[in-house]
Amino acid sequence: MTTALTLTTDSGVLTAAGEIDMSNAETFATALATAVTATDGSRLVVDLRSVEYLDSAGLAALFAQADHIEVRTGPLLAPLLEISGLAGLTTVHQT
Amino acid sequence: MSGSERRPSAHVFSADSEVGNDLAAVDWSATPLGPPEDWPQSLQTAVSILLSSRFSMWMAWGPELTFFCNAAYRRNTLGRKYPWALGRPAGEVWAEIWGDIGPRIDTVLRTGEATWDEGLLLFVERSGYPEESYHTFSYSPLRDDDGAVVGMLCVVSEETDRVIGERRMATLRDLGSDPSVVRTEEQMLAFAGAQLGRNLRDLPFTLTYLFDDDSTARLAGATGIDAGHPAAAVGTWPVERLAQGETVRMRLAAEPFAVLPSGDWPAPPTEALVLPLLRQGGAPYGFLVAALNRYRPFDSAYRGFLELAAGHVAAGIAGVRTYRAQQRRAEELAELDRAKTTFFSNISHEFRTPLTLIMGPVEDLLADADDGTREQLELIQRNGLRLGKLVNALLDFSRIEAGRMQAVYEPVELAAATAELASVFRSAIERAGLALDVDCPPLAEPVHVDRGMWEKVILNLLSNALKFTFDGRVRVAVHADGGEAVVTVADTGVGVAAEEMPRLFERFHRIENARSRSNEGSGIGLALVQELVGLHGGTITADSTVGRGTTFTIRLPFGKSDPPAAAPQRAVVDAQPFLEEALRWLPADSGPAPEPAAPGGTAVLVADDNADMREYLTRLLRSAGHRVTAVADGQEALESARADVPDLVISDVMMPRLDGLRLVAALRADPRTAGTPVLLLSARAGEEASIEGLEAGADDYLVKPFSAAELLARVRANVELSRLRNHHARWRTALIDSLQEAFFVCDEDGAIIEINSAFTDILGYGPEGLPYGPVPPWWPDPETDAEAHDAVSDALAMLLGQSHGSYTIPVVHRDGHRLWAAAAFNQVRDPDTGRLVVVGTFRDVTAEHYAIQRDSALAALGLCLSEAENLDGALTAVLGELREIWQAAYVLAAVFTEPGRPVVTATDGAPTWETLAPERRDEILALHDRPALTPAGSGITLDHPYGTMVLWIEPGPKRPFTEPDETLLALLAGHLSQGLHRIHQIDQQRETALALQRAILGPDRLPSGFAVRYEPATRPLKVGGDWYDTIELADGRIGIVVGDCVGHGLRAATVMGQLRSACRALLLRDSSPARALMSLDQFAGHLPGATCATVFCGVLDAATGHLTYSSAGHPPAIVGHPDGTTHLLDQGRSRPLAVHPGDDRPEATYTVPPRATLLLYTDGLVERRRRPLSIGIDQASAAVRHGLGTPIEDLASEIMDRLTPDSGYDDDVALLLYRHPGPLELEFPAESGRLSGVRAALRNWLERCGIDANTTQNILVAAGEACANAIEHGHRDAPGGRIRLRAAATAGDLRLIVTDTGRWKTPDPATSPYRGRGLKLMRAFMHAVTVTSGTTGTIVDMQARIS
Repeated sequence: MTTALTLTTDSGVLTAAGEIDMSNAETFATALATAVTATDGSRLVVDLRSVEYLDSAGLAALFAQADHIEVRTGPLLAPLLEISGLAGLTTVHQT
Repeated sequence: MSGSERRPSAHVFSADSEVGNDLAAVDWSATPLGPPEDWPQSLQTAVSILLSSRFSMWMAWGPELTFFCNAAYRRNTLGRKYPWALGRPAGEVWAEIWGDIGPRIDTVLRTGEATWDEGLLLFVERSGYPEESYHTFSYSPLRDDDGAVVGMLCVVSEETDRVIGERRMATLRDLGSDPSVVRTEEQMLAFAGAQLGRNLRDLPFTLTYLFDDDSTARLAGATGIDAGHPAAAVGTWPVERLAQGETVRMRLAAEPFAVLPSGDWPAPPTEALVLPLLRQGGAPYGFLVAALNRYRPFDSAYRGFLELAAGHVAAGIAGVRTYRAQQRRAEELAELDRAKTTFFSNISHEFRTPLTLIMGPVEDLLADADDGTREQLELIQRNGLRLGKLVNALLDFSRIEAGRMQAVYEPVELAAATAELASVFRSAIERAGLALDVDCPPLAEPVHVDRGMWEKVILNLLSNALKFTFDGRVRVAVHADGGEAVVTVADTGVGVAAEEMPRLFERFHRIENARSRSNEGSGIGLALVQELVGLHGGTITADSTVGRGTTFTIRLPFGKSDPPAAAPQRAVVDAQPFLEEALRWLPADSGPAPEPAAPGGTAVLVADDNADMREYLTRLLRSAGHRVTAVADGQEALESARADVPDLVISDVMMPRLDGLRLVAALRADPRTAGTPVLLLSARAGEEASIEGLEAGADDYLVKPFSAAELLARVRANVELSRLRNHHARWRTALIDSLQEAFFVCDEDGAIIEINSAFTDILGYGPEGLPYGPVPPWWPDPETDAEAHDAVSDALAMLLGQSHGSYTIPVVHRDGHRLWAAAAFNQVRDPDTGRLVVVGTFRDVTAEHYAIQRDSALAALGLCLSEAENLDGALTAVLGELREIWQAAYVLAAVFTEPGRPVVTATDGAPTWETLAPERRDEILALHDRPALTPAGSGITLDHPYGTMVLWIEPGPKRPFTEPDETLLALLAGHLSQGLHRIHQIDQQRETALALQRAILGPDRLPSGFAVRYEPATRPLKVGGDWYDTIELADGRIGIVVGDCVGHGLRAATVMGQLRSACRALLLRDSSPARALMSLDQFAGHLPGATCATVFCGVLDAATGHLTYSSAGHPPAIVGHPDGTTHLLDQGRSRPLAVHPGDDRPEATYTVPPRATLLLYTDGLVERRRRPLSIGIDQASAAVRHGLGTPIEDLASEIMDRLTPDSGYDDDVALLLYRHPGPLELEFPAESGRLSGVRAALRNWLERCGIDANTTQNILVAAGEACANAIEHGHRDAPGGRIRLRAAATAGDLRLIVTDTGRWKTPDPATSPYRGRGLKLMRAFMHAVTVTSGTTGTIVDMQARIS
């Protein structure tokens, strides 16, 4: 059983919903890479506002694409992105 | 002088600061050399070399040969001339020897060649007088800067000490080298004079004087001076002081010393030392005048030399005088010997006539004598023969001495002749119990011997062998060896001590104290043999080892060419006297028949080594009505007298082993025989001999020959006298012997000197062995039984140290068995001797001792068994006790639950079954098959509840295991077996009781989040009237019950057990607390003792914390909120159980907030005498408040502790704690797919804990990372492992523990960068993170604050 995660890519925005942990981080990373490639130069917006859980495996996927993405997050993940240092590498929008 | 002003010179002289400074101080400008700053380089260099050398050197430079020297020369040679000599012309410095050295220096300056002189004598005036000195030196040229010789350097070593030391040593050596050992005094002095006269340097002249007997001195020698010189007159010297041993130093001035010889020197001596010639332990022999060398100081070396020289002269005189004295003595002895021989020769001749006149008639009488007379006549004949033999031997001697021995040599077949002689002795030797070996094969040629003499030689040797041999054999052998016939007579007898060997063949020399068959003998046998062998041109030697035997070896030349003398054949010596004599040494076949003892007769002990004399005395004394015991020597006599004290002892003086005088001394030393009269018999006449006997303590002395009447009269008188004297002593002895208790007298050294018959009965040691001690044979062995030995030593110390006392000690009977003796003693003063003795009595308390030992051992064993809590404890305690009883090394019990593989219990220090010595293991296995309770050594078999048990006592080094110990062991083992079975039964009963208690007390397993305590008021019961219970109901609800029956102890416990079970059943059927209690009312109404029990009954929804409860007269539960407030659940209350059964009961509800703590309890926790209950409840509330942050299990203990009264709880206490929600405990496989579910469960639990969303998210991330790590690293290499997660909350903290069974890997950032991020995240979101990794797994322990 893998963790529930929905990934939607639409006009430069990758929206994730559910939980990202080591069991599905690979999927997340692949989707991220595909979406980044597809954005054609401009930064991909990764919307994590519906993500209820993100662990270091998921963070690793984000770090890998840090130069090519911007992140939208809710209050739940904000401290995590701050503490992990991702907020220092890429733009994180908290709403 | 200021060094800084004269820099150049200071530089030249800087190599040596001391001499350099003095050189610098010289006014050089006044010398031909001028100021040093103008000196040529060559001079500066030479001076610098001179000063820096440590060899003794001086140099001269320039036209006046200006003198320089270094520090070594100053010290060794220059003496007082320093520093005067510096800078002066050398000729002035050494003016006194310039005659010797001037020409040498001239040669050097002229030729430029060096000189060399060794040990040159020079008279130097460096000490204020011309001094004899010796120098080895070399002069070498010194050149100036142009190469011209302008000076000389002298390197010198002074050898005065060596030269003079060697000279003196030579004189002393010569004095001590007198090659002849003994001479006359004149010769000796002449030799010494010659040696002294050779050293005229140290001894310009000497005079030797000796004191005559009247202490006047006379001149005995002179060297270097004429004996007629006026100075040699005796009156010149202080004779009296010298006679006292003083040494005198004298000035030799004026008459008579005006004109003295000068020895080797130009001028005569001015002083002399006069030394006594010291004699060891007496006045000096004389004195020695030694004139002193005026050219040397008189120092300690010189004095020592003279003393040694005088010592040599004195020693020479001592040697000569000793020799002279010895020589004189030897001459006197030789003269004495000659006189003795003449005397013996004369007297022997005189003996022969009367002897012939005795022997002839006796022989006639024997021809027709009756039996009674015959016996007596034979006695006469035997002794006549013996006397004749002695006389003949003495005559032979005097003949040999006088050179008148008439030998008739004829060729004899020596082997056959010798074998024949040996066979004559065969019967006597065999009767003595010895074997005779004769090994005499025929020789190739005859030997010329005188038959008569040869027979004497062999018979003497054989008789000698028989006399000194007590077991073994005598061997006679003949063989040829080169040109000689060798005859050996060897025995296996007592042997001769090495120090006696040189005197073996000496005439009249008898070896004292050698054990022999008879003390008879004149000491001439071997001497005669040697003389006789010598007459044959042969030799005899002896070889002997004490205790091994003696071998005599005779060597005779073959073919002695002396023509057979024409004289008629000499009568062959009769072997009869030798044989007769030898036979009398042997035990008689039938001695005088023991006559029936006349009851009233006097007991007489006769000791004589001569069998005839013994028989004669026995017959004589018996005829006078005495009881006679006859023995052959002093030792036997002493043993006999000690064993049975006679009324009188008659003893010969000369006897083997112990002679008469020593026998008397031994008898007198023994208190029992001290009073027995002794009559000595001796052949040695004269006042002196009898005084010696009486001094030894003999009562009377009789000289052989004596008349029968005289002997009997003396016997009678002595016995009467001693009867009177000993009357009270006999009475005392009779009294002591009649004592039931053992009696002893002990001297001041602790030796036992008197005992009675009870003593012998108890210990087995009789009076014959007296004295005993100070370490008597009944003392326990210090090696094998140190403990007992120490006890006895202590007792002896007490005996000697205290005036009276008593003690009980272990002793050993003569037959080896152990006894215990209780002794009492008193110190008293012996009225006869005035010495302090100890008188004591003791009795055998062995039986009592063992009875006490048995009783105390049994008591100790009983105590061990009664105190033991269980079977193993009992066995362990008993083994310790047994070890104590026997002071054992260890005690071991092997219980054979299955054959061959026992379960071993042992005291400390014992080996295990595996490390036990194999032989010990075998012993124990063998014991296993023995019947129970029959000891074998220190092991025994008994019946243990689990099987056969072998009990093994390993004896300690200080305490042997004896037979009484075996008995005691059997007894104890029997008790032990019974005791173990009894304990086993009790064990079983107790286990049953405990199982029952556990069954009624409460649930084995609590739902999570609960903690309970139970403290019964009554020990050792582990149950009482109070109880707690948790019941897991449907829908995750939990019934919680705390109740309290009236009273405590077993009765209350039985009621409680039933109520608890009933309540449990009721709640399971209907989860309403009120209804359950109402039903319980009904039940309790029918249960005696259940009325008025109080119960708090609730049903808790563990998910929500919702609680429904009802209280039957029970104290309110307490809820502690995380914010620190407390709340009492005091609703839903009504009467205790079974009071108005059937009435409704109220019910209340309460929701326990997250992280709140719920406490249910019985009144034992809070109720105290003379105190409102509310105070106790407040205290309990405070304890809950205090412990809101404490984990629940710890809090339970904390509350019990905080509320414990000073004297402990006096009522039952039951306590039940719950913290909401209970901890989360998850266990899942290490797979990443599980993480989501784990998170969901954790999220849910955190919600129940009332944690806010952000904190929840943080905890989820931390927990998630810990789990991910466990999956990723802990189990990557070992799939299938499991992970456990436990989360528990207190009021303010949350604790999360993730445990896996794998190895934690420290993240390597290079290979997995994001893992390192995981740990970082855990630390960021939690307050404390601890990772403990071990071989069995990894534990991540995290804590977070949540308030």
